[in-house]
Amino acid sequence: MTAVPTEVISPGRSILSRIADLRAWLFLALLLVFFEVWAQTRYGVTFVGNTYNLQSISIFATAPLLLAVGQTFVIISAGIDLSVGFTMGLAAVVSAHVANLGVSLLGLHPFLAMLLGLLSGVAVAFVPGLVNGWLIAQLRVPPFIGTLGMYGIARGAAFLIAGGMTVPVSNSWFAWIGNGRVAGIPILVIITAVVVLGMHYLLSETRFGQHTYAFGASRAAALRSGINVKRLTMRIYLLAAVCAGLAGALYSGRFAAGAAQAGEPLLLSSIAAVVIGGASLFGGSGTIAGTVAGALVIAVIEYGLVFINVEPFWQFIAVGFVIIISVLVDQSQRRLLGGQRDE
Amino acid sequence: MIERRSFLGLMGATAAAAGTGALVRPVMAQDKKFTIALVPGLTTDAFYITMHRGADAAAQALGQDLIFQGASEWNVTLQVPVLDAVIARKPDAILIAPTDKVQLVEPLKKANDAGIPVVCVDTFIGTGEFQTGSGDADFPISYVASDNVLGGVIAARALAKSIGDEGSVYVSNVKPGVSTTDQREEGFKKEMANHPNIKVLETQFNDDDANKAAAQVQAVLGRAPDLAGVFGANLFSASGTANGVKQAGKQGVVKIAAFDAPQSVVQELKDGTYEIAIAQHPAEIGYFGVVCAYAHLTGNSVPTLIGTGFTVMTKDNIDDPNVAKFLYTG
Repeated sequence: MTAVPTEVISPGRSILSRIADLRAWLFLALLLVFFEVWAQTRYGVTFVGNTYNLQSISIFATAPLLLAVGQTFVIISAGIDLSVGFTMGLAAVVSAHVANLGVSLLGLHPFLAMLLGLLSGVAVAFVPGLVNGWLIAQLRVPPFIGTLGMYGIARGAAFLIAGGMTVPVSNSWFAWIGNGRVAGIPILVIITAVVVLGMHYLLSETRFGQHTYAFGASRAAALRSGINVKRLTMRIYLLAAVCAGLAGALYSGRFAAGAAQAGEPLLLSSIAAVVIGGASLFGGSGTIAGTVAGALVIAVIEYGLVFINVEPFWQFIAVGFVIIISVLVDQSQRRLLGGQRDE
Repeated sequence: MIERRSFLGLMGATAAAAGTGALVRPVMAQDKKFTIALVPGLTTDAFYITMHRGADAAAQALGQDLIFQGASEWNVTLQVPVLDAVIARKPDAILIAPTDKVQLVEPLKKANDAGIPVVCVDTFIGTGEFQTGSGDADFPISYVASDNVLGGVIAARALAKSIGDEGSVYVSNVKPGVSTTDQREEGFKKEMANHPNIKVLETQFNDDDANKAAAQVQAVLGRAPDLAGVFGANLFSASGTANGVKQAGKQGVVKIAAFDAPQSVVQELKDGTYEIAIAQHPAEIGYFGVVCAYAHLTGNSVPTLIGTGFTVMTKDNIDDPNVAKFLYTG
């Protein structure tokens, strides 16, 4: 009897909050309808019915989404990680170098060199992740400042390792990871889907995930209830960095070159995706499913506006509008549901 | 190529003149070692790193000191403090790639007022026409750069040829308002106007994000399946577009002309990712920027505009050392 879920308090409220949880998906559906209607009336072609479009959009969304799923944990914990963009760049450069050296220096088979490259990209991301976590957990540096510092350090390190250039990779296996398909599905999309599912499980089904929510909602309460807050914080920032590292390693495969600035334009998209997905920057709320929808919303807008041939500058305006609207909806929903978290 | 050769001839003459100047005034050249500062548009870019290499070569040949200081990204608010710090060190001349035509005028005027001659390299302030006595931005002694409009024209010609002179094309560009990339687009469109069977679609701006450039070409392909070619106006525009084309299974069908030539283009030309790469000659810009400053400092007159060349790279000529030497390197 003690296991009665709290949602049963009021059925009406539950339905409302369920809809609210899905609002990013509703928004996405609305956007797809909008582009479909436009494409049909102006060009007489289908937008959604074209698998080519869907595939292009899903590839487009993979890199920002990988950053965003890690960022989701950070934002739920009431933090922010500004360094993920350059952690991605650092990983891209390192994995490119390692994949090259694996062949030229160690004489490895290109497939093994590719694996080594991928692993080292993810491994090098541990450094910014651990340092971020240490700064924030042990030294109580505010996340904004700590990760801003790391933003600079990761960036400088990435450019130094790359020598200010892009690092070309000639490894057909690496290129296959970035551009190949299995059963018609791009490998990038498969990898991203697996990571997303894993992160969803981690956030919604494990103690780590529950602690993340609890910590984000109230640090003091989390401390008193005996959560090892320091270890939790370390893990959260490590997770964000590792996701960025994977994104970076995959970037090198996809573009056959590691670039230090690979993730720079993606940082804000990743935060926007989390926020559009329903997470609060004040912590304590957010879901991986929401973040996926958020990332897709951004990708659909940017792709769709090019598809229907709208003046390029409208893209910035459109994404800006969507962010503001989602936060407004979020706020009014909280007021409606009587939640006080953001006040 | 002809362009480059005639230019080199011209520069040979200039360099010779500079040399003569040094001979005529041996006292000046030996007594004072000049310090010449090079402020690039950004420090983390193969183009400027190569320019630095060229400038270094000239400084060594002339026995002068060169300092290289800049911001890590293309941004006025980051470049100006670096420039101020450089001015504070009182170098004898400043070579700069201004990050904005208008906003760098006042900061550079400070250098000029302090008696430090300014040479614009790659990008310019005002109109790019200097020492004319008109306007408030004509004070730099010279502008040394590739003619980016011409670069766009060359890209358009080469692309038109490789798509058989028909179909749709567009420019994948970084962002509006950058003098050099705007000029490349201008040149490209100007030349394409002479090709009636080629339709130029709306330019797509990708914010220097390869991922976005890739999605954009896929979106354009979805709408305009007759897309025959894309001009990638800089590195990430080109590499992103190439990837989008590959993902769409249209490699070889949609031809790509890439502007700029880091080492990676060798492989990309060979595997057919790019049809054409247009290399600027950044080392040449750096070299002659320094020569120009030195000539001025030793009392010689200098041309107000020095145009450097381009090299068109394809998979057929990239192994030629005379072509490969124009790849950008650190």
